[in-house]
Amino acid sequence: MGMIQATQIVNEERPIAGKTVSVSVVQRLRPPTRFQVALLGMQGLLQGMWLTLTYFWSPVEVVTREYPENRDSLKITERFRGNLRFKFPNEVAHQTHSALLEQIAQETQTHPEVAENWIRDEDDTRWYHNCTGCSKCEEACPNASIRILTRHGEILDDREIDRFVWRLDSCMFCNACVLACPWDAIEMTGGFENAVFDRRLLVYSLNRLAAPRINLIQDEQDPAVRARMIDWRSRYGGPIPLGGTGLPNLPAIGAPKVQECPVSHAGSTAVAP
Amino acid sequence: MSVQIRTLEEHLHASPQADSELTTQEYLVNMGPQHPIAHGSLRVVLRLDGENVKFVIPVPGYVHRGVEKMCEHLTYRQIIPYTDRLDYLSAIMNNWAVAKTVEKALGIETNARIETIRTIMSELQRLQSHALWWGVTGMDLGAYTAFLYGFREREIIGEIFEETIGARLTMNYIQPGGLMYDIQPDFAAKVKKLIPYLHGCIAQYETLLSGNTIFQERLRNIGVMDGAEALALGCTGPILRASGVPLDLRATEAYGVYDQVNFNVVVGAVGDSWDRYYVRLHEMRESLRIIEQLIDNVPEGDYATLRYNEELILPEGLHYGQTETARGAFGVFIDSDGKRPHPRRLHFRSPSFNNMWVVTRIAAGWRIADFIAIQSSLDLVIPDIDR
Ligand code: SF4
Ligand code: SF4
Repeated sequence: MGMIQATQIVNEERPIAGKTVSVSVVQRLRPPTRFQVALLGMQGLLQGMWLTLTYFWSPVEVVTREYPENRDSLKITERFRGNLRFKFPNEVAHQTHSALLEQIAQETQTHPEVAENWIRDEDDTRWYHNCTGCSKCEEACPNASIRILTRHGEILDDREIDRFVWRLDSCMFCNACVLACPWDAIEMTGGFENAVFDRRLLVYSLNRLAAPRINLIQDEQDPAVRARMIDWRSRYGGPIPLGGTGLPNLPAIGAPKVQECPVSHAGSTAVAP
Repeated sequence: MSVQIRTLEEHLHASPQADSELTTQEYLVNMGPQHPIAHGSLRVVLRLDGENVKFVIPVPGYVHRGVEKMCEHLTYRQIIPYTDRLDYLSAIMNNWAVAKTVEKALGIETNARIETIRTIMSELQRLQSHALWWGVTGMDLGAYTAFLYGFREREIIGEIFEETIGARLTMNYIQPGGLMYDIQPDFAAKVKKLIPYLHGCIAQYETLLSGNTIFQERLRNIGVMDGAEALALGCTGPILRASGVPLDLRATEAYGVYDQVNFNVVVGAVGDSWDRYYVRLHEMRESLRIIEQLIDNVPEGDYATLRYNEELILPEGLHYGQTETARGAFGVFIDSDGKRPHPRRLHFRSPSFNNMWVVTRIAAGWRIADFIAIQSSLDLVIPDIDR
């Protein structure tokens, strides 16, 4: 602060609302004369510039983060509320979800979001989940960003999840759904890169299987019965995510799309699997 | 104080002849709703005679979202994330106001741990809010460097929030009967490391802005408002305190654990823009003092006393609760019918709404540049005004 102090703090007691509170009064010092103003103006300017200058030889800490260059070293805290996703208890043993998506996206030359539609491997156990379709999360959501569609499971003769539709576009990341879930079936992940080219891609189902809870499937010993408990569900599709149906000039999301390559193979078409 | 009400229409048809000797004309100029100085979508109609501001009419309503109406269909837990979106720089204090009202109405007991963590988090949020305000004021008055410094501190505090709460802006942290998560084990250590750092930062702020005579000259004796007028306008927070009224709900209502800590209410002596500036700056030191006293012994206990899915039905009648946010008193007024888990009617008393009308009283007679200084010293958050 130095000599150009304009203010000093005086502590005293003052009554307010039937109480006496201790206050710090911001007292004004005598205003400087015109000459002093000019002098102090220079001093204030130089002090400020000096502070800035010191950063050239003693950068205390570089505070600027160079995103996206630092994407690999980016640390997202464990509680960060980014994307909502299902907990897949069996997934750990497998390739991570995003790596798989990248691979499929490369193979099919599509956006990773869309690539989720083609995730389908022989081993369904990866996508076993904890959700029972109890709709507690749907009730807890303040702005109806979750829609739970249930179905009647034939084998267990009970209600089970058909589609867990999540609207990323209206979600406000309040975490209410995660806290409300009695079965610990969903979680917030650190994913924050949500930009897509088509806003329909922001409405999708989180579950891969229309199936009962993981322990109910695993209790069943007969693999044939187990297989009958499970139905595959794609990321986009079903009644609520439009899937592009009904919109003119837009290829349906998830449908194999005809790709035209404008440069090297002019005129030829390639069909994604 | 008498109140004279004139509509915008009447102002428009007032004589266009200016008072000055030159043959000039008065103009009505819109500042905003899209204006770099407005910090949001606030439209301010200025009647100008050259550079001189004759009078000012704020026209809010550009980010009105009907939050209060929406809340009539939401449970009390669901209302809390919406309060994040009012005064987004005081999200935790806003959450607390709702939680406090619900707890008082239902007689829910919380424990010392919950109240201590709530207090620490609120003070961190106040520091964050004042740091941002300090930077933005600097930017408004032509010192862009200040903006970057203010944001630096804001992000550092934001990182602590992110680790415990999971969000940097829209917290939804304080819930009826507790908190959303317990604090992380290294929370206290991190906050303790932050305290001396922030003291250093405030010293830097003094060097960069407070010590700058140009900056002082732009604030000193500009927009003077006395305590009686501030009270009559319903101002709260640093604006009221800068006018010499030591009203601070933390001291007078002593919610949380504010009655167990020593801190001073910072008041101004003159009531001008400089006092409004310096009161906030010194409040940051007082906030650090509060955190210092609490951070070493956060009591043990649960972080929530209610199950999350418990249905909360408030008894029939009117319930009110308020907290001191970074901008003043944020009140929640709930009318419950005693049958449904939603309020029958809900009203937020938001500090920025009342504080905004100060410009109509004190900005007249100053130049446009002074008006900017005055508006900046009011620290308005527009979504809080419009709700
Ligand atoms: S985070 Fe909140 S808004 Fe988003 S889906 Fe969950 S409950 Fe709904
Ligand atoms: S995610 Fe949880 S709360 Fe939602 S339907 Fe499934 S089990 Fe119920």
